[in-house]
Amino acid sequence: MQIIKDKQFISQLSEKINDPQQLSSWELFKMAYEVEKLSITTDFQGLQSLAHLPHMKFMNHQIKAAEQTIQEMNGRAILADEVGLGKTIEAGLILKEYMVRGLVRKALILVPASLVNQWVTELREKFFIPAVAYRKNYDWSQVDIMVSSIDTAKRMPHQEKIIDIDYDFLLIDEAHKLKNNKTKNYAFVQSLRKKYCLLLTATPIQNELMEIFNLVSILKPGHLGSSQSFMDRFGNKRSKLKEDTYLNKLVQKVMIRNTRNDTALNNTKRIIQTVWLDFCNTGKEAYAILEEKLAGVPHFARITYLRELCSSREACCFSLNKQQSSSNVLDALNKISDMPHHPKAEKLVEYLKGLNGEKAIVFTEYRATQIYLQWYLSKHGISSVPFRGGFKAGKKDWMRQLFKDRAQVLIATEAAGEGINLQFCHHVFNYDLPWNPMRLEQRIGRVHRYGQENDVKIYNFAIRNTIEEQIMNLLYEKIELFEKVIGDLDDILSELEIKNLDYEIKNIFTESVSAGERKIKLDNLMAVIESNAENMEKEA
Amino acid sequence: MELTNLLERYFTAHHCTEIDKTDEFMKVQLTEELDKTLMNRPFYWHYVKSTGAEGKPMTLTLITDHRSKGKGELIHFGSPRLQQIFSNLRKNERFTRQFQHVETNINTPLYPWLLVNFKLSYEGKQMREEMFSIGLQLVNGTMKTDMMELLEPLRLSLSIGDLCHTITPLIRIENGFARIEKLMQSYIDSQNHEWANQSLRTMKEEQDLLNHFIGSEENNEVFNKETEGIRKRYEPKIYMHIINSGIIHLQNNAI
Repeated sequence: MQIIKDKQFISQLSEKINDPQQLSSWELFKMAYEVEKLSITTDFQGLQSLAHLPHMKFMNHQIKAAEQTIQEMNGRAILADEVGLGKTIEAGLILKEYMVRGLVRKALILVPASLVNQWVTELREKFFIPAVAYRKNYDWSQVDIMVSSIDTAKRMPHQEKIIDIDYDFLLIDEAHKLKNNKTKNYAFVQSLRKKYCLLLTATPIQNELMEIFNLVSILKPGHLGSSQSFMDRFGNKRSKLKEDTYLNKLVQKVMIRNTRNDTALNNTKRIIQTVWLDFCNTGKEAYAILEEKLAGVPHFARITYLRELCSSREACCFSLNKQQSSSNVLDALNKISDMPHHPKAEKLVEYLKGLNGEKAIVFTEYRATQIYLQWYLSKHGISSVPFRGGFKAGKKDWMRQLFKDRAQVLIATEAAGEGINLQFCHHVFNYDLPWNPMRLEQRIGRVHRYGQENDVKIYNFAIRNTIEEQIMNLLYEKIELFEKVIGDLDDILSELEIKNLDYEIKNIFTESVSAGERKIKLDNLMAVIESNAENMEKEA
Repeated sequence: MELTNLLERYFTAHHCTEIDKTDEFMKVQLTEELDKTLMNRPFYWHYVKSTGAEGKPMTLTLITDHRSKGKGELIHFGSPRLQQIFSNLRKNERFTRQFQHVETNINTPLYPWLLVNFKLSYEGKQMREEMFSIGLQLVNGTMKTDMMELLEPLRLSLSIGDLCHTITPLIRIENGFARIEKLMQSYIDSQNHEWANQSLRTMKEEQDLLNHFIGSEENNEVFNKETEGIRKRYEPKIYMHIINSGIIHLQNNAI
């Protein structure tokens, strides 16, 4: 066994012991010893930082992920847990552990602009890590734990300064955006000097083997050879991942992926309820005009109008108005404006009032519906705040805070998405239904995630005898299938070389001539997904 | 709490004055010496010196309760300021010579002890550390473990008390240290080193993996760099660090 001793020590001691100038007071000498005692790693296993974070209740998979990253992966890992299992918590714990062990002092945390403040807050409040959000004129070399967006960081003159710094720790959130090695972001990240490196993503490996190559190459430069030799050898087939044990092993060595199924999050349940509604007579007439009498309007556009009408008069009128006005269109518009309030809006108010002030999120696909609902709810004395993907980072934070402190309802359009945490709420209204049932998963994931303490109630609104009923029956009755494969869906889809499930489903709906054809095609799609899911299960 | 305590002791030992202290924060007036050590502003001090003026040391506000909304530096285990203080302690407080303070009216001899505080780091795939505090009496060769704990109740100071005198060591410091090192060595030898075997196995796995991906490309600079990296990371080794050390003069039977 190699034992490495401190060879200079004894001569230093002999030299200094007779020079009172160089000697320490007993108090400081003792402190140096105590401080060492506080900092040592007493066990090969385990995390020291846990003792310093008694206020945190970590889940087992989070602690395990942190241990694995530190002990087995040397602090270079892709954290790829499913949405809502607390990747941020894992990353915070890892950073904290390294800091407590004295191994990290300088860290750079690159996250989407909309999440900068949330990261800073979480690191400060949960881990007492003095993280700082980049602001104009801050000095990159002076701030030890800096959180910034990648776009800010890669701009000149920042880039120049950042590249000169030796980071102990680099973290990239939403790292799947780095899968393409031709982008400026990729080149920038690869040029950073770092000791430890975490890449966070919920969708790690989608379609192409080269994406794995590119992510691994950030963590372990050169480990997979050059991109050319890799290409020559493996081509770009995902299936290689299974065939090549070395490749498979390597991916396991750098990636941690927990799914909902293997975590304790199963404790809180999801209670899903479909709420069936009917149009009033005027509504039915308006729907019939749109369905049957819009001559010269392409089929897919008609389907869009129908779905919009199921959401709100406003959403439908908004796009009809953009249509060349024919007599039919004017007819439809007249009918629609004769409609009393939308049955969904009325039902929503009824449900919200029954919640006894508990908070709720309402998801809609349409901006016009969002505006209408805000007005309609306020008319009924229900406070709400809007939320859109397009909001700037600061506004998103502000709206989230407003919702948390002041309002009962958050009305969100689809892209409310990435990373925003709303665990303090446990009612989700799907006011209208997206094509892709997986979108529901993303919506629900905002709420049913690490930190949620209640069962999550989900209400799916649908109007009878409309396209929504078809969507509901054809797609959502199979929601169980989707729930079963949530964790694997990405893998399954790429296996099937389906790049975009939304697009696939929309196509089936718009291009089928009859309801029967629709059903057959959809059943077919589901069957393929299901059989692949079974295959994967068997292999596992 | 433990932290606040530690910080207070640190600043007091450096002769700083506490301006303000609540449950949430502490505000300290630094001395010139500590300002130079902690605040990283050499240009200021250089400038002040060149103008011949008196420098003005800064005050430091440390937030000890994270809920506090006040302005200052958030301090917790692992925070950079704390790491800085810890590493200053490690770097600067390495050697000492202490004399036991004895209330006496007769001539009292003080016996020299060599004190060495060790940290053993077992490093391979994973790391584990152990600390030892060993004392060796340099006249009769008595050895004690847990020396720091034994010294804890005693009053020690940098200067020798009235009526006390030191006994000249019979064992040279170098020889004494060699004896202590031998003790550590036999302690290491007596252990089960399965962790090292594990590490060697992982090292081989990693190397196989690397060979698989880029081994075939000849003269590959990356390959050599990575091989070296794997060796560095997994090759099991034990570091015998010396935290700090000193000569402690104690009354007979003091410990």
